[in-house]
Amino acid sequence: MKQALFAGLVLGLVPIQSTVLQHASIGGIRPDLCLIAVCLVGFLTGELSGMMLGLALGFVQELFSAGELWLSMVTKGMVGFLAGVVSRYLANATYAAVFATMMGMSLYSGLVFLVAERGSAGWLEMFSTVRFIVLPQAAFDAALGVGVYWLVADRVRRSQIKLSSPYPLGE
Amino acid sequence: MAMLPSISGARRVKIVLLALLCSIVLVLPAQSRQLLQQVGIPLADVVAVPLRALTALEGSIQKVWNKYVALQDVYEENRRLQEQIEILRNQNHELRELAFMSHQLSALLEFKGRLSSETVAAQVIGLDSTNWYRGVVLNKGQQDGIRAEMGVLTLSGVVGRVVKATKYSSVVLLVNDPNNAVPGLIQRTRDQGIVLGTIGGRARMRYIPLLSTVQLGDVVATSGLTGAFPKGIPIGTISRIEKEDDDLFLSAEIVPQVDFTKLEEVLVITALPTTAEETSEEFDGATP
Repeated sequence: MKQALFAGLVLGLVPIQSTVLQHASIGGIRPDLCLIAVCLVGFLTGELSGMMLGLALGFVQELFSAGELWLSMVTKGMVGFLAGVVSRYLANATYAAVFATMMGMSLYSGLVFLVAERGSAGWLEMFSTVRFIVLPQAAFDAALGVGVYWLVADRVRRSQIKLSSPYPLGE
Repeated sequence: MAMLPSISGARRVKIVLLALLCSIVLVLPAQSRQLLQQVGIPLADVVAVPLRALTALEGSIQKVWNKYVALQDVYEENRRLQEQIEILRNQNHELRELAFMSHQLSALLEFKGRLSSETVAAQVIGLDSTNWYRGVVLNKGQQDGIRAEMGVLTLSGVVGRVVKATKYSSVVLLVNDPNNAVPGLIQRTRDQGIVLGTIGGRARMRYIPLLSTVQLGDVVATSGLTGAFPKGIPIGTISRIEKEDDDLFLSAEIVPQVDFTKLEEVLVITALPTTAEETSEEFDGATP
């Protein structure tokens, strides 16, 4: 089931990101669905799953992008791992905590791209990129991520409790 | 203080192995790129299937909306007029370029040969999957003769260059992306420079000679110095002129000729005319 879900995400998210999502852009900024998915999977199911999905999604994403084939793969893998690690520290995953985590991960991802791809640019250009692309993108990702978390978190938690508890839920 | 739950042995080994893989990719990017490319091409073909399906579905819905829900006649007429404007604008640029060249040596007329460049028509099926590059995905790839570094244009002018090509799709980096560079030529003054993209979505021509008489509104076209484009394809119009910090060169902001938000059909230049090189040499030799 989990493998099928991961395969569906890997094969389906990038086409959606490339086509349909252009209609959901605000000021030319589109949310990064792949980052949101990786972050949530890492957050809800652990660092290993997050990292594996991140590596796979990042790789496929780079196939349909003008960037190098390793940058997104490594960054997304790291995002999945870090999201899993963060979830271990959180006793209570409130929406504010999920928002902050998601925003932090998106900022991290954006800054890695900025340094790797525009490292030779001047400070003014870097600052402008952070202000007009990295920060709005992080806020957009975090807001959408919290929305998706609100939709799926309860369902995932219930299935995890069912699997780990000897007593069926509700009895 | 909360204790961090420990990771079990097998998971720890998997995480270390994955981290090691990432490290190898980071340390040896050039070597790993080839391997990743090999793995990626078949995978890209699989992902291209839902991508095409989604594009077709989206196109159908949009078509139904535009033709039957929105004003049918106005849409059709507008589309026809837009096409005519594109064609006339292109003809205008061609005529201006040819008029200038007719005052040069007769050998320069050979440049008409560049219009017979071999091209492949392709459809834009998606945007770059990240927000970090201005790029588009085309529905044709290596199977149709498209390779990396080939030039892409529309009837209006330069679109960009192919940076990745798989069997059935290819990725084009637009001319207004900061990572792109195209040799340019100011049509009126014949000054050459390099056209780079900007963060703001426009383009900037750099390294224009300080004594150039460039003016606002001058048209910048490709110079044909490197392989992707023949000479004289319009890139954009100069909207602002600035001096570089060191005052050795001028730079100029360019409004691209192509509206990248409305890209649908493009032409990929698969082969330049064989006579272009000879013509270029004649041109260089005859210029005072």
